[in-house]
Amino acid sequence: MMFKKNAILKIILLLVFSDILETFSQFCFKKSALLSGPFQIKAFSDAVTFAKTSALSPFLWVALISVFLTFIIWATVLSKVDLSVAHPIASFSYILVPLVSIVFFHEKIAALGWVGIIFILIGAIFVSLSSKEKEDIL
Amino acid sequence: MKEQLFLILFLIVLTSACDTLCQLFLKSSINSLKFSVNSVKKVIIFILKLAVHPGAWIALTFSIAALFLWLFVLSKADLNFAFSVGSLHYIFIAFASKLILKEKVGITRWLGTISIVIGIILVAIS
Repeated sequence: MMFKKNAILKIILLLVFSDILETFSQFCFKKSALLSGPFQIKAFSDAVTFAKTSALSPFLWVALISVFLTFIIWATVLSKVDLSVAHPIASFSYILVPLVSIVFFHEKIAALGWVGIIFILIGAIFVSLSSKEKEDIL
Repeated sequence: MKEQLFLILFLIVLTSACDTLCQLFLKSSINSLKFSVNSVKKVIIFILKLAVHPGAWIALTFSIAALFLWLFVLSKADLNFAFSVGSLHYIFIAFASKLILKEKVGITRWLGTISIVIGIILVAIS
């Protein structure tokens, strides 16, 4: 079966996609919070007003939908591979966020940051390789 | 100052513990469904089956608890510090998968997981 051979590659792609979705939902949450205006949450009633204003923002709903989609992908991935494989590979977001900062916000990354990114990549490759032992269940 | 640090450390560990429990409950619920997902239609059935599984709701509760704890930690602690300590979470999950879910965590997987933890700490402090 095709799926068997490329299984771990598909899993990685799904996880990267869900990481992108998660980053996107964080962006939308932040956007909806900013649009609700500067809020000083001091009492519970302030929090309720804040929640009410946010609930009217389309960004909040887009964020919630992408959180739900992220969950669907995560659950599907977990039905295919071990938790100890899927969870470390999902650390891709630690690479995505700095890369997005470079490309879109022209931020600079320190040498140590690059070393960190390489460590994460090597780690993800090792974890992916270790899952081959279980290919029969895929 | 020192008490504050211990409180933050404790809260980070607590966040990690909640998230680990969330993942364990979710994964064991999925395992108990013994459902093979190989088409979009099956994904929908799979999610519906999961939605009526009590384990998934326990997982959701722990996930919400972890989210609130984490937001609280971030409002108190230095971001780099929180992320660095938080990355130990990967080790917790690996141990929990091995001990509770009986997954086979071999030397390659351990090396990979540890490499990721080192990587996250380096990205956080850089």
